[in-house]
Amino acid sequence: MTTTLAGGRAARRQTMRRIRPRRSPAVPLLLAVGAGAAAVLWLWWTSTPSIADTTGRIVAAGRITGLLAGYLMALVVLQMARVPALERRVGSDRVARWHATSGRYTVCLVVAHVFLIMWGYALQAGKSLGDIVQQTVASVTTLPDMGKAAVGTGLLFVIALLSVGPVRRRLPYDGWYHVHLLTYAAVYLTFWHQITTGNEFAVEPSAKTFWYGLYGTVTALVLWYRVITPIRLNLRHRMRVEAVIEETPGIVSVLIGGRRLHRMGAEAGQFFRWRFLAPGMRFSSHPYSLSAAPRPDMLRITVKAIGDHSSRLRELEPGTRVWAEGPYGALTAQRRSRGKVLLVAGGVGITPMRALFETLPGASGDITLLYRANSTQDLALWDELAKIADERGARLMYAVNSPDGERPDISADSLRRKIPDIDHHDVFLCGPPGFAQSVYDALRGAGVPARRIHHESFEM
Amino acid sequence: MRKSHPVRRAVLATAATVSGIVLLLSLKPASDPGSAAAGGAVPPAAAQSPQGGAQPIGNGTVTGDAAQTQYGAVQVRLTVSGGKITEAEAVRAPRGGQSDRITSDAVPRLNQAAVAAQSAEIDAVSGATYTSAGYKESLQSALDKARAAGSAGAPGAAGSGQGPGSARARTVTGDAAQTQYGPVQVRITVDGGKITEAEAVRAPRGGQSDRITSDAVPRLNQAAVAAQSAEIDAVSGATYTSAGYRQSLQSALDRAGG
Repeated sequence: MTTTLAGGRAARRQTMRRIRPRRSPAVPLLLAVGAGAAAVLWLWWTSTPSIADTTGRIVAAGRITGLLAGYLMALVVLQMARVPALERRVGSDRVARWHATSGRYTVCLVVAHVFLIMWGYALQAGKSLGDIVQQTVASVTTLPDMGKAAVGTGLLFVIALLSVGPVRRRLPYDGWYHVHLLTYAAVYLTFWHQITTGNEFAVEPSAKTFWYGLYGTVTALVLWYRVITPIRLNLRHRMRVEAVIEETPGIVSVLIGGRRLHRMGAEAGQFFRWRFLAPGMRFSSHPYSLSAAPRPDMLRITVKAIGDHSSRLRELEPGTRVWAEGPYGALTAQRRSRGKVLLVAGGVGITPMRALFETLPGASGDITLLYRANSTQDLALWDELAKIADERGARLMYAVNSPDGERPDISADSLRRKIPDIDHHDVFLCGPPGFAQSVYDALRGAGVPARRIHHESFEM
Repeated sequence: MRKSHPVRRAVLATAATVSGIVLLLSLKPASDPGSAAAGGAVPPAAAQSPQGGAQPIGNGTVTGDAAQTQYGAVQVRLTVSGGKITEAEAVRAPRGGQSDRITSDAVPRLNQAAVAAQSAEIDAVSGATYTSAGYKESLQSALDKARAAGSAGAPGAAGSGQGPGSARARTVTGDAAQTQYGPVQVRITVDGGKITEAEAVRAPRGGQSDRITSDAVPRLNQAAVAAQSAEIDAVSGATYTSAGYRQSLQSALDRAGG
């Protein structure tokens, strides 16, 4: 099986064509977001003639926080629209962290908005801060679209509570995920009160157009990339499980067949979100990296059985339909800027590294793979790695715990000893969080600049 | 892979947001910088020419100056016929959020009250104190304009064309002039073609401005009466207020036809 999967020259050539390093569009995107926020503040500025007193200031602060929350809410949804520029250029992991950070910030803005606006209205009505609840009830019942907004905001708060670290860790992923999808409903419900009660939109009709444009664009992108694109992809490629292979105890490879799979545009180092249409699995979708360069008739993923879902992969029957979304991820050859490359894999983090090890273009001696595992038995895919190393003249090293359980030494010094010109390498790094952090620190200590350490991490 | 410091990041984000909002709020003036512009732009269309005649109040429609309230501007337009207010309506009123409801509730009642009272002496609508106050102010200004137009007596000399040669003493309020410390607005009393009294109905307030205003404004008032024109010297230490005063005084004089 391994020989057939060594994608060989064709795949390598494909990667070679794309070796030009591409800059991540993160900085221009963040600048655009900042410019949008400035435009929103400018909208408030021009539509507010003056502020007379403290009450006016409180209401104005409520309006500013509300406008910013409305603006950011659209972006929070946009970050999860699976737009290729974000998923493949910025990187799914980074975008997911943006999503979490901006989501938290937006929820805080919503809290501030509700509190300030209702406090301000209470003061306007000649009441005090203590009557804020009564004022909220009055506003929700009398102002247009405020009922919807109240339901949406409540929903948002529930979603936010369930996403707080300790709570989320206690929830099953699928349950959490499906509750999280209710954000779409919350955004829809809270949208209308912005238009109908927002002072800025009443005063400035072009602001209304801008707002509809923003939310309309986000809706279109979500529909296109989260619904239509996956449907087209799966109708075209019709993937099924071909075989399940146990690589080492606890690590299985799933071979997935389909039509013209090379046309999916997947590159070594990328992943898909997989949904196996088997009983008990069809409602959850999980990201797994390709562990070999894609072939026209075959994809392979290699998965460590750590969770419910990954353990069940072992029992997959050949012929099971597969629903995939992707490819996603920016840990590809495009990140490379130098001739020499060091790949560092920890445990099952070997999967994208294995694909890159095979396909990264390079002369003999340019590519080095350092593979860390608990023991030699846990070195999954070792045989094929050795074969690739042999064919390509690449270096393959492993580091495992000694028989008495002592951890191997991966430090700045040991790295420099093994690879004297390590500071002239691009480093691709994939592994569990603690491992990745310690290797990162060691690499920095050994003189590798941060911009040449390419890492993907799905920690929040 | 940067180490993230969630607490530090949260503190930074909060501090940045709060200080940004406080900065924005503190940069906003306490009254409307647009009022001078808006007020200046409105009269040509607003103070539409009454049909002349010798009525105490000219016929036609008259639009009062926009009055600023903390929720937005209020501006009243009157339809006058046969010396009576036959219709009153608010062409501008606070909008957005809570204000929509209050406006739609209060404005029709204020309109009725204005027609019933035939003056600006109307009661405030409860729950709409600010809007009512703004309405009364703009209504008064519309009535002033209509009276001025009526007493000028010359066809086409409406609104801005009333001469100071009127037999009765009357007051004319200039446009508000913006200064960096706040608006200045001057009201003059004209009797027999002469400025008999000048006062500032609006002047910079708050902090340092209180002291400067209380010092400078009385001297500017005296100077205006003495000079019978806007050619008055600036009070030293109150350069901006003086400039605004002169500007608003000139606009009042223009209105008075002087």
